Amino acid sequence: MNKDKIFKLAKGFRGRAKNCIRVARERVEKALQYSYRDRRNKKRDMRGLWIQRINAGTRLHGVNYGNFMHGLIKENIQLNRKVLSELSMHEPYSFKALVDVSRSAFPGNKTVITPSEKKGLSMLV
Amino acid sequence: MAATALSFFTSPTTPKPTPPITTKTPIPRTNLTFFNSLSSPSPHKLTFSPLVTRSSTPEAPVIESEPAQIAKLGSEDALKGEGVFAVVVIGSRQYIVFPGRFITVQRLKGANVDDKIILNKVLLVGSKTTTYIGKPIVTNAAVHAVVEDQGLDPKVIVFKYKKKKGYRRNIGHRQPNTRIRITGITGYQNYPAVTLDS
Repeated sequence: MNKDKIFKLAKGFRGRAKNCIRVARERVEKALQYSYRDRRNKKRDMRGLWIQRINAGTRLHGVNYGNFMHGLIKENIQLNRKVLSELSMHEPYSFKALVDVSRSAFPGNKTVITPSEKKGLSMLV
Repeated sequence: MAATALSFFTSPTTPKPTPPITTKTPIPRTNLTFFNSLSSPSPHKLTFSPLVTRSSTPEAPVIESEPAQIAKLGSEDALKGEGVFAVVVIGSRQYIVFPGRFITVQRLKGANVDDKIILNKVLLVGSKTTTYIGKPIVTNAAVHAVVEDQGLDPKVIVFKYKKKKGYRRNIGHRQPNTRIRITGITGYQNYPAVTLDS
């Protein structure tokens, strides 16, 4: 890559990494290596984030993530985690319907009632 | 999920004579039944009072190159189908789609601009009062869309480097994509619904 391109990519870097071509080239190349790697890592990171969001959504209804997904698989519902997390944020009623389907598919879900337990504890304390 | 995600074909009512695109896969039989269901209930809606149930009315199409039949229906029921959304599989990726909005998906090969697409792999349909959960798909449900643009994603610099080996590659890449505008969601009404109490 020529100098102009390097400096264009080095905008916003700190110290000499934005002014001096020797340092800037080093830092830009390293940055491009990181971005190559992180385009792959992004897929893992997002999946982890979606799982956390689904877990937060299902626990409002007293089901944990693992049991929820198990119920969905039993019912052959093939929504992926990206869609499920978006539903849990923006379509709470549809998400509740999914939780209900999952709960009836996997009766083990029925015993878990976390929100009410928490409420009871706060009452006692 | 099979690789046969969608089937393109120009709609029979298009005014301009676009050549029919060769479908990669044979159109499933459900399409035929679906077309009947589209043509039969739509006059119903017009003859009934305009205050039919919200969930059953398709959204007003925004694209100006719509056939007259559907456009008339849309103007009648404009903004009635609000709140309807669907989860649809396009190219083995799942998208939440709303009528009237556009989404950018992976390049649909063989589709031309202004082609009409019918997407059959609908996993879930939600309206204000009911949710239709497909196991795994909502049978007969279809999402109608229009191809707006065959474009390219922003450029990605693919820089490969191995230290001490004298190996470096600098390649630019722009992933082809397709922008489609969702015009309506139909055909899901007969599927068993999960109705919400609240």
